[in-house]
Order: sequence, then C-alpha cells, then structure tokens
Amino acid sequence: MIDAIMNSSHVLVLATDSASDRSSINMALLLSAILFTCGLIGFLSRRNMIIMFLCTELMFQASALALIAFGKVHHDVSGEVFVIFILTVAAAEAALALGLIVLLYRRRETLDSEAWSELKEA
Amino acid sequence: MDFASPSLDIQRCGALLADASPTTVSAFALTIAAGICAAGLAVLMRPGAQGIRIAGTVLALVGFAMLSVEVIKRASVGSEAAGFPPVFPVIFGLLSTIGAVRVITHPRPVFAAMYFMLTVVSTGCMFLLLGAEFMAFALVIVYAGAILITYLFVLMLAQQSPVVGVGDAWYDRVPREALSAVFIGFVMLATLSDAYFSAKGQSFIADKMQASEFDGAVAGWKRLDAMPKLLRVAAEQTLAVEVAMAKDPTAAATTPVAISEVVRNADGSAITMHADTASIVVKLTDGSTRTLALAPSMMPENSRQVGVDLVSKFPAGLEIAGVVLLMALFGAVILARKQIELGEDERRELAGMRRFTVEGEAGGSGGMQ
Amino acid sequence: MIELASLSNLTAQALGTFVPAILSDATSNGIPASIAAPELRWAGLILLLPVISAVLCGLCAAMRVKSKLPGLITAVSLVASFGLTLWLFLSLSNADGPVAARTVHLFDWITLSWEPTHQHAATRWTSVTAPFALYIDSLTLLWMLFVTGLGSLIAIYATEYMESDVGKGYARFFGCVSIFLFAMGALVMGGNLILLYLGWEGVGLASYLLVGYYYTKPSAVDAAKKAFIMNRIGDAGLALGIFLIWVNYGSLEYSALFEAMQGAGADGASASWTREAIPYLIMLGAFGKSAQFPLFTWLPDAMEGPTPVSALIHAATMVTAGVYLIARLYPLFELHPHALETVAWIGCFTALLAATIGMAQYDIKRVFAYSTVSQLGYMFLGLGVGTSFGAVYHVFTHAFFKALLFLCCGAIMHGMAGQLDLRKMSGLRNVKGFGIISWTFLVGCLCLAAFPFSSGYFSKDAIIGQAFASDNPNFNFLGWVAVLTAGLTSYYAFRVWFRVCGGPTKYEAGDEVHSDADEAHDDDHGHGHAPAATTHHAAEHWHPHGPRIAINAVLLVICAGALLAAVPAYNAMSGGSNWVQRMVAHSSAFEGAQLHDAHGAEHAHHALSFTGIQDVHTATSVVASVFGMAGLLIALYLHLLNRSAADHLRNGLLSNSLTRWLPIAMENKWYVDEIYHWTFRVPLWALAHVSHFADKNLIDGVVVNGVARLPMDLARLFQPLYNGVLQGYAATMAGGLALILAWVFWIWMQGV
Repeated sequence: MIDAIMNSSHVLVLATDSASDRSSINMALLLSAILFTCGLIGFLSRRNMIIMFLCTELMFQASALALIAFGKVHHDVSGEVFVIFILTVAAAEAALALGLIVLLYRRRETLDSEAWSELKEA
Repeated sequence: MDFASPSLDIQRCGALLADASPTTVSAFALTIAAGICAAGLAVLMRPGAQGIRIAGTVLALVGFAMLSVEVIKRASVGSEAAGFPPVFPVIFGLLSTIGAVRVITHPRPVFAAMYFMLTVVSTGCMFLLLGAEFMAFALVIVYAGAILITYLFVLMLAQQSPVVGVGDAWYDRVPREALSAVFIGFVMLATLSDAYFSAKGQSFIADKMQASEFDGAVAGWKRLDAMPKLLRVAAEQTLAVEVAMAKDPTAAATTPVAISEVVRNADGSAITMHADTASIVVKLTDGSTRTLALAPSMMPENSRQVGVDLVSKFPAGLEIAGVVLLMALFGAVILARKQIELGEDERRELAGMRRFTVEGEAGGSGGMQ
Repeated sequence: MIELASLSNLTAQALGTFVPAILSDATSNGIPASIAAPELRWAGLILLLPVISAVLCGLCAAMRVKSKLPGLITAVSLVASFGLTLWLFLSLSNADGPVAARTVHLFDWITLSWEPTHQHAATRWTSVTAPFALYIDSLTLLWMLFVTGLGSLIAIYATEYMESDVGKGYARFFGCVSIFLFAMGALVMGGNLILLYLGWEGVGLASYLLVGYYYTKPSAVDAAKKAFIMNRIGDAGLALGIFLIWVNYGSLEYSALFEAMQGAGADGASASWTREAIPYLIMLGAFGKSAQFPLFTWLPDAMEGPTPVSALIHAATMVTAGVYLIARLYPLFELHPHALETVAWIGCFTALLAATIGMAQYDIKRVFAYSTVSQLGYMFLGLGVGTSFGAVYHVFTHAFFKALLFLCCGAIMHGMAGQLDLRKMSGLRNVKGFGIISWTFLVGCLCLAAFPFSSGYFSKDAIIGQAFASDNPNFNFLGWVAVLTAGLTSYYAFRVWFRVCGGPTKYEAGDEVHSDADEAHDDDHGHGHAPAATTHHAAEHWHPHGPRIAINAVLLVICAGALLAAVPAYNAMSGGSNWVQRMVAHSSAFEGAQLHDAHGAEHAHHALSFTGIQDVHTATSVVASVFGMAGLLIALYLHLLNRSAADHLRNGLLSNSLTRWLPIAMENKWYVDEIYHWTFRVPLWALAHVSHFADKNLIDGVVVNGVARLPMDLARLFQPLYNGVLQGYAATMAGGLALILAWVFWIWMQGV
C-alpha cells in the first residue's frame, strides 16, 4: 500500500501530459514571436507616439511570454520572477514615457513622431 | 516508469529529423507560413477597401493557421501519445494575435488600447496554460488594470478628437514605411520560429524539459522545506491520508496519532529526496517516528514558489525594481507638474542659501560672501 | 702693413728653420705622422675670435648701434686672429723636432663608436669620430695666413666702404664677414672632413648671406639663391665623397686617413667602384665651391654682393676652398690618375671659357669675376697636371692681386656712385683722388696678366711649365691652351685698365647717384620735385669722390702684398728655395711640390724644346710672356691708342656672317646660363608642373579623394535612412538585428 502511495507520489505525476505541455509551450513561443514581430512592426510603422509605446508594451508582453515558456521548459520559476521585473520596467516606462509624450504634445500640438526630426543633418 | 526510452526516442527522432530531407521542407514551410502572415499583415497595414481588408485578414489567418499546425505538429514529434489536441493554446494564441494585429492596424488609438487589453487577457490565459497563475493575474491586473488606464488617460489628454468629414488624424491613418517594417518583421518572425521550432530547437526543448523535471521538483520541495508552517500542514495531511488509507478494521481502537515535531536533519532540512520520492520523518506524539512520503500535490503552489524565489533568490533585483518604480514616480511627478520659472535668488532661497543681490547692493563689499 | 712686412721677412729668413731638409726624398717619406700638440690649444682662438666678433655684431644689430662699432669689432678681432696665425706660424717655424702636422684637440664634437664586427676587426671602422680638432701643417698655415690677413685688410677696407649703411646693414654685414672667417678657418684648420664640411657649408651660408646683402634688390636675391643652389649641387658631391671615404678608409680624421690612403696605394687594394667614385665626388664639391665649368655661373652673378665681399669671398678665399680640398686630399687623388687628368681638363677648359667671356664683358666687376673663374681654372689645371705647388702658389698670388683688383673696382664704384661700365669711364688716373686706385689697379692687372717678373708670372708659369714638362701629350695640349688663355687674360685685364684709367678723362655717374645726390642737394632744391628732375639735377651737380685713408691704405698694403708675393720665386731663382714650395712639400700635397724638371737634363726633350731652351719652365716663361705681351699690345692698341678700332673690329665681326656668332656668344657668356635654363631648369619646371598636375589630379584627385569619396558616396546611398525621425533609426536597428539573427540561425548555425 505504501508502495502504491509512493508510486503515486512519483514526481512525474506533475507532468502528466508531456505532449500537451509541449504543444502549449510551442504555441506560447510562437505567440511570443508573433507578438514581438507585431510590436516591432507597429513601432516602426505607426506614427502616433502613444501607439508606438503601446507597441513596446506588446514587445514586453512577447518577452514575458517567452520567459515564462522557457521557465516552463526549465521547470524553473525564475522566468516568472523576471516577468515581474519586466512588469516593473513597463510600468515605469509607461509612467515616464507617457508623461514625456504629454509634454511633447503640449509643445507641438501633435502626436506625430515625425514632428520631431531634429537629429536630421540638414 | 522508464525514463530512458522516451529520452532515447526523442533523441532518435531528433537525429532522424535532422538528417531527413523532409526537415528542410518543413523548415521551409515555417518560413512560407511566416511570409504569408507577413503578406497578410502588409495588406492590413494599408488603409483600403473592405474587400482588400478581408483578403488580408484571410491571408493572415491562413498564415497563422499554417504556423500553428506546423508548430503543434512539431510538439508531438517524439511522444507516442497524440494527446489532447491543444485547443486552448490555439484559441488564446489566435485571440492574442488578433488583438496585436488590431493594435498596430487600428486607426483609432483608443481602440488600439482596447485591443491591447484583449491581447493582455489572452496572454494571461496563455500564462495560465503554462502554469504561471500568479503571473497571469499579475499581468492582467497590472497591464489591464493600471498601465492601460494610464494610456487611456494620456490618450484622452493628448489625442485630438476626430474632425468631422476628415476622420481620424492623418498620422493615425497612414502608416510610415509599412512594407519595410513588415519585411523586417517577417525576417524576425522567420528566424525566431526557425530557431524555436527547428528539429534541434525542439529536441533541445524536449531534452531540457525532461532533464530539468527532477530538478524542478527538488526545487519545489526545497521551497516547502523553507516554509515550516506549511511543511507541518503537509505532514499532517499526509499522515491523515496514510492513516485513513491504512485504516484496518481490526485496529479500531488505536488511538489517533498526531505529529509532535517534524524531524530535521543535521543540515536543517526536513525533506529527503529518495530517488524520485520526497519524504519526511516526523516524531509522533506517542514518541515513535514515522517516515511520510509527500504527495506531489503537497508541493507549494505557483504563487508561493514565485514569492519565495523573489525574496530569497533575487532580493537585489527586487530592491532595484522598487527603486526604478520610485524613480519613475519622481520622474512622472516632475514631468507632470507645471513649470515655474524661478529667479536666481528664489532658487538660492529654496536651497537654503542666502540671497545675494540685496546685501551686495547695500553692503558693497561683502556681497559675495 | 706690419703683417705684410713680417711676411716678406719670413719668406727670406724664418722659413729656413721650419723646413730644414729640402724635398729630396719627399715622395718616399710620405706624409709624416701628425703630432698631438696640446700646448697649441690657444690656436683655437683663431677660430674663436671671429665667432666672438659675430656674436658682438649680432648684439650690435639687436641694439641698433648706429656707429661703426661693428666694423671696428670685426676688424680688431680679425687682425688679432691674423696675429695669432702669424704667431702660430712663427712658433712652429722655430720649433725643434720633426716637421710634421700638429693636431690640436679642442673638444669632442661627434663621437660615435661601436663594437667591432667580425668583418672589420680593425679599429678603423668601429667609430665615426670628428673631434673639434685642428690639423696644423704648412698647407693650413699658408692658407690661414692669407685668409686671415686678407680678411682683416678687407674688413678694414669695408669699414669705410660700407659707411653709407651704418645703422642699417652695417652690423649684419660684419657679422656675416665674421661668420665667414670662422667657417673658412674651420674649413682650413679642421682636423677632419666633418669639420671641413662644417666650414664648407658655413662659407656657403656666409656667401649666400653676403651676396644677398642688398636683399631689396631682386637681382641680388636671385644671385644669392643661385650661388647657394649651385653650391648645394657641389656640396652633395662632397658629402657623398666624405661618406665614401669613411666607407673605404674607415676614418675621417686626416692623420688616420692619410695613413690609410698611403696603405691603400701600397697594397693595391681592389678598386671598387665606391673607391673609384670618391675623387670624382670630391671634385664635384670642389668645382661647385670654386666655380669650375659645370657649376661656374654663380660666381659672376655673385658680384651683386658688396665689393669687399667679392674681393674676400669670391676672389681671394672662399673660392680657393676647392683647390684647398684637392690639395689637402692630394694623396687620394694621387691614387686616381684619371681623376687628376679630369681635373686638369676641366680646369683648363674653364680657364679658356671664362677668359673668352671676360673679354667681352663691359661690367668691370664681371670681367674680374670671369677672370677669377679663369684663374681658378689655372689652379685646377696645376693640380691636375701634378704641380700642387704651382696651384697653391697661384692661389697665394691670385689671392693678393685679385683682391687688389676687386678692391680697386670697389673703390671706383664707391667713388663713381656705382658706375661699373667700362664704356662710361675713362682716364680716371687723372681724376683727383683716384691716383692710388689707378696705379694699384695697374699693379693688379700686371700680376693678373702675368707680366714678366710679376707674382702672377711666376705662379702661372709654374703651372703651364708643368703641363709642358709632362710626358702626357694631353697635358702638352692643355699647356698650349693655357698659354693661349694667358694671352687672353693679358688682353682683358689691360682692356679694363686702358679703358678705365687710360685715355682722356670722362665719366658718368652710376645708378646710385640718386641717394647721394638727394642727400647732398636737398637743401638747395627742397622737396617735392619729380624724380626725373632729381636725376637731372643730381647728374649736374655730381662729382666723383676719391676714397679716404682706410681704402687707400688697404689698397697700398695689398698692392705691396701682390708685389711681394713674387719674392719666394726670386728667392728660388737666386739659388734659394721657394717658401711656398717648401710649405707645400711638407703638407699632404707634397707629391706635386717638386717642380718636374728640377733635375733639368731628365727632361731635355719637352714640348717646348723648339725654343731651344732646355729648362721647360724658362721656355714656358718665354712663350707665355710672348703671348701675354701680344695680348697687352692688342689691348693697348684697341683700347687706348685707337678705341674706335675696337668698335670697328666688333662691327666687322658682326657684319661677317661667318664670324658674327663669336662676339655675340662671348658677350652672352656662351649662353651657358641659357643652356642651363633650357636643359635643366625648364625640363625640371615642366616636370614639376606635370608632377603637380599628377599630384593634384591623380594622387589627390583619384587616389586620395577617390578613396575618400567612396565611403561618402556609399554613405549618400544610405543617407535617406538618416532622416532625423526616431523610427528611421529604430528601423535601421531592427533591420540590423533581424539580419544578424538571420545570419546566426541560417548561416552560422547552418539552418538547424
């Protein structure tokens, strides 16, 4: 009887369905790649600065997803811990960047990122 | 259960995949699927007629479907059982993707923010599927609850209202250099998916999953070890189960046993890993000791594990995150407050220094002191 | 005058002890090893005094001294220098012991040494040492005597001559003269070739500075540049020669060098081309400095400098440095007979060429400049045909009479407001104040023309006689050319004298009349009149002024020197020995000290045997005198008795199409300058422009700028990316990242 319990308490009980887990992980990785790509494309092609920052949030999402997926691969919660840091940075960025955007908007009355092109040579 | 055979199996399959020519074809399939996605997105990026938008959507969906099928196919390689088809990951992935695509294509920023919320919630569901409950809820709370609200406020502060007859702002309607951006995205997606889902990548993931399974369990038990109260509860529950299961009709009169103490080893740990089994030794109230095998369900849940890791493994990171947030707070306050131009004297006064014009004019010589 | 008197005394008396045994076996003895003589350290003062004087002149210039102080300083220090030289000479004359060169080590200058390699175990190649040491032998002393003597006399002369520049360039002039004297001293007295080279460049520098003294005059600046550049060509040869000497003989100090050279002659060392090239390179240096054929055109132009400079540097001393160099390195040249023959040919050719040019010049300073070139040619002829004595003796006599002639020219120029054209002056002997000038001028011309029993007569005949005495038929031919040239020399010397000093008195003022006249007549006419009027009035009121005491005294002293320079020859004729000859015999140039037919009978059949005179030198004297007298008489007829005949002759030559080239070519200096211009300067100029063009368009344009333009154009290709919009940069970054990722996954990791 005790043996039976011992068997049932085998660690593998945790990973009851390896194939299903792997397909979840693969989907998560695919989704992270897609989200990152979408964020990148959006950042590069949208002119609205707020949307640009929203796109960076998308990219943050993608990296968070990848971290968690790989955390799952490694059976390690460090991935999740790092997502907390990502959330922190995202929050800080949102607070600061949005404040800056408001300031910029006050200056030019537009959210078009191309309104600021002082880096240009001529 | 024998671990060697599936592991060998996977390795064999990995080698097979690496050698066989179909691998190249399927790798190519990933790239084609990414290309179809990119083409669909490229169409969607440009404002156009309804039909074109629908065609783009269909194209993107086809690409996404191809990608998903290919990816799931590769996940099942190496395991005999086909298992339950991954319906939920696909659904949440699709929702999330739709949200992301709408974020970058919707001409109205407020809607984009709303779609972003869809993405966040779907991603949160994905987190749940991956067993990261704490992060799933944290994500939804922080992003959907806090960050997105900030975005919405800023949008309301800064966004010009749509002009009647013209519609949305020009810079929201017309993307800049959409094609090149999409191309860059395509390259990114193709390389990333190739990296993740190539035979080598997949065998790496499978190997890692298997190899780290035990370590993950050990780490989980260790965390339980670090939480004495929880450990005691687990011991009591296990004991109860054991007693219940071992209940012998003949031994009806046995006195109920209770745990007086969980026995600690010399190094202070209570849980001992025996092969794949975690067990603890407890001293019962009747003075006898008993070895209890802990059931996997006794392992602390995800949020506890994350919490323990956060404070025990990454305390410095936690502090730094706190400082970052604090600084962001200061920064936001400074950015948001109204700019008041102060003169030199006022600033000196605020800094607790003496004004230096009045005395200089009066005293003549001692002004600069 | 005291100096000259003592000099003449010495010729008669003191030298007997200095040169005890005469010449009998000089060749077999070789050059005696030099003796270190630290007790003669004071001889360094001979060099130091001009340096001090130069520094003081520099101070005077800095403090804008407006007096004759710089001239005084220079004259005093140079006279002191001469006195010291004389003292040195006397003390060595009276010294006991073997007659050998004294080396005086003053201080270490260049000292490089290293471990001997296995190739040259000998000690000679293991160091390059050039101490600041003096090498004092009789050749040095002879040279230093007339260098410092004439230097001090000319400095005295210049104190008066340059007086119009007091407060302006006066200090500069005397500073440069002092520098020159130091450099010349280092050249002559230096104990090694490096020190000689220092002096060599130093005199070149002084010459450049002094020729360009009137630096506001473009012609003077051009002349200075020309002199400097042509000398550089020669100096390059000298520098290479010195280098090859070290390579071949392993030392640069004379004493070690002569030893090595005599050894080389004895052991018949294999003649490498580097060794063969040495005398030709040295020769190039000598020809540059002494204005010989390929490099002579700078000297006539150098007459743009003040006349004392012409007399001192460009007639008496510096230009003889080439002769000194070859005489000093005579053992080296003895090893290369062909080199000596080359020297003879070039010297003789230069003598004839310069004499023909001199015949047709109207500027009296230029006549004597060409005469200097010609006489230097004689000296090289002497060296070439093997009589270093003749060459050195001619240097000695020439130094006096040519300095005299130039100083006379200078005095005339000084008195006649810069007039130098012999057609515009006549009968100056009768002008008040020009008497001394005229008669000392005559003495100079006589010496130059080798009038019988003048100093030039003896020295020139020593050279020509040696040419005739040689067994080499080429040398006999050169002797005939030299005799012909002697006739020409006589003609052009007396052409000048008869024109300028003879005949009816008439003169015109030169260009410099303006300044003098303005100063003199400003009171009468006030200011503001037109320049033409000034000239007119100036010409009306202008009078020639004769020189004062300083110039006259110096002229007389040098005249006496020119006459007394013949004394050694008289001494030899009267059974004694020639002082100069003995001096040469005990120096490194001893090989040629002996007159070829001292033994008479040995050379009974010489090239002039047809005269019936057995002694070749006597025969030469007779023949050369005949030519000289002929030249003199022609000059007398054409330029004094019947001056129109000269014009008729010229017109006759010009009207005849066969001969008309002759006067034109001679008056135009045989177009040597033009030939140089078209053969060297113009091609080089064209080459420079082609190179400039190539540099600008090919190197700069295609290579440098082209290479620079490549990234520029490439950058322009990507410039649209640099549009100042944040997203553009982000796109670049993301694209780069995507490319790197693609490379990593598809290429680097081979598409796994």
